[in-house]
Amino acid sequence: MVRPEFRGSAREYFRIWIVNLLFTLLTVGVYSAWAKVRKQRYLYGNTRLDGDAFNYFASARAILKGRILAVIVFFAYALLTELYPLSIWAFATAGLLLLPLILVRALRFNARMSAWRGLRFDFPARVRDAVPLYLGMPLLVVATLGLAFPWFMAKHKEFVISHHAFGISPLGCAMPVGKVYGIYFRASLIIAAMGVVAILGAAMLSPVVMLLPQAGWLAFLLPVLAIYIAYAFAYAYLQARVTNLAWQNTYGAGVRFSSTLGAIDLAGLYISNLLAIVFTAGLAVPWAVVRTLRYRMENFTMLVSEEVVHEASAELLNISATGQELGEIFNVNFGV
Amino acid sequence: MSSLAAHYFDGRRAQRHEVTLVLSGGRAKIVGREVDAEFEAHRVRISTRIASTPRWIYLPGGGACVTEDNEGVDRLVRERPMQRMVHRLEAHAAFAALAVLLVAALFWAIVDRALPFAAARVAEHIPAQAEATLGREALAGMDQFWLQPSKLALQERAALAARLESLAALAGESPAYRLEFRASPVIGANAFALPSGIIVLTDELVKLAQAEEEILAVLAHELGHVRHRHVMRRLLEGSAVALLVAGVTGDVASATSLAAAAPTLVLQTKFSRDNEREADAYAIELLRRAGIGAQHFAAILVRMEAQAPRGPMLPSFLSSHPSSDERKALSGAR
Repeated sequence: MVRPEFRGSAREYFRIWIVNLLFTLLTVGVYSAWAKVRKQRYLYGNTRLDGDAFNYFASARAILKGRILAVIVFFAYALLTELYPLSIWAFATAGLLLLPLILVRALRFNARMSAWRGLRFDFPARVRDAVPLYLGMPLLVVATLGLAFPWFMAKHKEFVISHHAFGISPLGCAMPVGKVYGIYFRASLIIAAMGVVAILGAAMLSPVVMLLPQAGWLAFLLPVLAIYIAYAFAYAYLQARVTNLAWQNTYGAGVRFSSTLGAIDLAGLYISNLLAIVFTAGLAVPWAVVRTLRYRMENFTMLVSEEVVHEASAELLNISATGQELGEIFNVNFGV
Repeated sequence: MSSLAAHYFDGRRAQRHEVTLVLSGGRAKIVGREVDAEFEAHRVRISTRIASTPRWIYLPGGGACVTEDNEGVDRLVRERPMQRMVHRLEAHAAFAALAVLLVAALFWAIVDRALPFAAARVAEHIPAQAEATLGREALAGMDQFWLQPSKLALQERAALAARLESLAALAGESPAYRLEFRASPVIGANAFALPSGIIVLTDELVKLAQAEEEILAVLAHELGHVRHRHVMRRLLEGSAVALLVAGVTGDVASATSLAAAAPTLVLQTKFSRDNEREADAYAIELLRRAGIGAQHFAAILVRMEAQAPRGPMLPSFLSSHPSSDERKALSGAR
């Protein structure tokens, strides 16, 4: 049984975070790519599995290229969809058509830039493998008015996990779709229950608001707060249960996995992170990152049944340590 | 000669080897029980130092050593000055405290100065015609839900339009605008500027005004919105703020990144208040040139506020307009 261990501290990460944020602001965002690499290297370097730390190689230049492109696309989208509302269809179509490409390239970039014991991870899926799922499924989700969404999410998890590999040792994943539907059903019950509580609460509060017009904005704020809490709980519940289920059904060469995230723990984590970030004007972000990461590590276990020496894929041996050759433009997080 | 305890990975198999790394005479030697290799030292690349995370020593041919001995590595090689500086700054609590202050100051400078300035410059270069579709649809949308055709006599409309035209001419470079008359029991006495320079004036405002100067004062304010391209600037500033806030909170999980919504809202209402102040200043200057007393502007603002439907009281940092006391003081002061 092997469990990853996170040795970083919020204090240390805060110092790195604030210095890099300062440089990012001073350089109008250009340094953000270098900042991302330093922060990522701190988090990877402090994560140990069986005694050895992970390593992150991505080159800041490659990330910068991707970010410049992303900012241009973002401004074009923000301005054009506002000025010419019909253009949203053009963006939506382009986004949908490019989704398989962007997803595969981004996952491949992140996997190949990550290593453990000197061996890179990989995401050898081809774009055309992603096309049926990511072009077909969203249409099916729309056609079924969302009923196919849990199925889509199950297949998405399956696709992402089962195309990851450590060296040439692949992972496999088979999601039980019925169980995913059960999780989504219970999450929607949570939202419904919390919605009822929010409405009752607002009704009970309305006399107070009548008496104190100065507190009128409370009447606006409290339902929003209740809805947020409901959302955070449902989101945490989905995250915890779907992630646990996915790892439970994942297997690799001589290894199985176990994930024990708790819905309530995770919701508490999200809500306390949010409060801390709001009340410190953002200064609590590094603390939130570190404690969330630590919690996730503590609840992840690898069950090794036989010692396998994993080998590198021949293709990746030719990539230099800096990864400059990858000239990666899409660096988006699709987090598993 | 200096040496370091390290782990060696050949890059082909995920297997750890205990080794000693020896650097001498321009050669790097890796010596261990199963390993014995030698490289030219200048072809070896060493990762930059980040806190006390392990250091990677990348060897030609795909192998790598990793060591916990950061001090040892620092003795062997000197990092580039920039890299050394970043690490030193990251290591000091005092600098972190200073960085907090600097970040706050920079944030303020960007949001209060740089961003509005840049948005104004960029907006000047985007032709007002770009807003035509948006303006047409905004007016059509309002016509459908809140506005009715104006019941004012044609002569009265023509007279007001002519007065506004001569007022706008006083501004020197007069912005292209289009005055639209509408009745609106729902909105009440008001005027607003829509994209592409459309200014809507409600019959209710014309009735509420006790002098034509008061109507002109409100129209001059709307002209200020048109002249300063506030629609386009709000778009640009809004997008930039979304990026800025995402840059700070982007590292956290998405349920938490809802935290990004609150500052975005606060900042956007701040830009809105700044725009109102700018339009007020424009109106007062225009009225001065036309020889209309600023008290007319104050008078109509007071009356508009008195008849406006009372919404929930918002704290001032969430309000889209400056407080009316502030606005009255402004128009009284000139």
